[in-house]
Amino acid sequence: MPKDTSAPRIPHRPIWTGSISIGLVNVPVKLLTMVRDHSVSFRLLHRADGQPIQYQRVCTRDNQVVPWEEIVRGYEVRKDEFVVFENEELDVVKPESDKRIRLEKFVYSLSIDPVFFNKSYLLVPDRSEEAYSLLLAAFRKMGRAGVGMVTLRTKEYPALVREYHEALILTTLHYADEIVNPPDLEEIQKLAEPAEKELGLAEKIIGDLTGEFDITEFQDTYRERLNDLIQKKMEGKTVTIEKPAAEEARELMDALQETLARLEHK
Amino acid sequence: MSRIGRVEVSNLDKVMFPGMGLTKKEIIEYYIRIAPRMLPWLEGRPVVLNRFPDGITRPGFFEKDAPKETPDWVTLSVHRSETVGKVVHYIVCDSPDTLIWLANLAAIELNITLSPAGDPEKPDFALFDIDPEPPAAMKETVEVTRALFEVLEGLGIRGYVKTSGKKGLHVVVPLKPGYTFRQVRNFVHATGILLAREREMVVSEFPRSRDPGTVFVDYLQNSSWKTMACPYSLRPVPAAAVSCPLSREEVTPSLKPEDFNIVTVISRTKDPWMGIFDDLQGIPVK
Repeated sequence: MPKDTSAPRIPHRPIWTGSISIGLVNVPVKLLTMVRDHSVSFRLLHRADGQPIQYQRVCTRDNQVVPWEEIVRGYEVRKDEFVVFENEELDVVKPESDKRIRLEKFVYSLSIDPVFFNKSYLLVPDRSEEAYSLLLAAFRKMGRAGVGMVTLRTKEYPALVREYHEALILTTLHYADEIVNPPDLEEIQKLAEPAEKELGLAEKIIGDLTGEFDITEFQDTYRERLNDLIQKKMEGKTVTIEKPAAEEARELMDALQETLARLEHK
Repeated sequence: MSRIGRVEVSNLDKVMFPGMGLTKKEIIEYYIRIAPRMLPWLEGRPVVLNRFPDGITRPGFFEKDAPKETPDWVTLSVHRSETVGKVVHYIVCDSPDTLIWLANLAAIELNITLSPAGDPEKPDFALFDIDPEPPAAMKETVEVTRALFEVLEGLGIRGYVKTSGKKGLHVVVPLKPGYTFRQVRNFVHATGILLAREREMVVSEFPRSRDPGTVFVDYLQNSSWKTMACPYSLRPVPAAAVSCPLSREEVTPSLKPEDFNIVTVISRTKDPWMGIFDDLQGIPVK
């Protein structure tokens, strides 16, 4: 049976322990993963004998396997031209985690554009429930979130701490220079102002379709079909490969008509 | 000189396929025996002869215009060629006698137009001529033909397949009346383009048709006065292969065109193209 993936399992093992620090106040916390990818994953097998295949790091010159201890890192300066680094050299500049989420400023939660959100983690109290619930209550009451920096593994992130469903969560953010600025695109620059009448119509349509946001309305139907398929295979049923016939025929007819139109205009 | 029906036959012992030792007598016998299956294709259509008076190892020649010695009982269809400005007397092979007479002329190969003699600008068959270029061979041709069938099926069209008798396969679609050759040609061409888009080895354009290892989906024969090998016609190849109608199940990677030859085809009891003349199809046109 494929695993029941209808609800994420409760995570137990923290991926990080440390504390939220605001000035001189420290709130000890553990960081748990919060977002689970439910994509169905497959192993790659050799069709002939069903055994898993593996990747090997080989030298592009002689195709010989290269052991890890003989591997260094190269930064490509120009095509096929590298400056070489030993791991130790790179370790020197790696950020050291000081086990702190330093909150330096408090902002209204809704003032941060979601485009900056990277990944969210659950924060749970680490032996100090009172400090945790105090911070949580204050955030909730004021509708604010703390912003600061955090180092996870070997990367420093801007981060946000806020209340979500009776708990504190940490959301790592993208740096400003990681996000494309839309007005830099020519397609966006040359947009014309719409006519007043058309705008009115568009507003009416959007107004009519306005509702409450409910994420549970959306289902991963591809995953459901995949799980179905796996189930059937495991029960020994034959799996027929089919696309909805009507849809396929329509696509095909469209492609043909398009091609015919081009031939006619030659 | 001896006679079969109205036909005077001659030089019966002349060897036509030296590799197999087949004489003109055996060619005539083949066409007599295959006549019931072949005549429905020849009736009402101009036939273009590919004659080999000295056997297939000597140069042959195509003949459109009926030769001077044509008996008066042979049906002719007279057309003025717009391009040459000349009148051509096409032979219409509508009786076993005419077929025997053609065989006696060493017309090893009989080619038919894709429209009836009475309405030469109105195609009644579409032809996909699937032609491999070495090193591509029958295996690749079969793959492309199967893909073509899939596309046709997706469009709700039933195709019929035959060996060309040489390297390739022919897929024909019997058409409802009313199409022009230009429409049919564009349909066949567009289908070739769709196939070429998904398969690197497929070529849809003539200039690339001789690229090594490709399979050309030739649409160019879909024109008035152009022809295809008539179903059940012999081809001038050493194995005396026949352009033989096949069932879809026979189109497998191990298909060998030379297995369908002057000896074997006659003993095929089932007609894989049964009902084709009543199965007229519509095709998408612009």
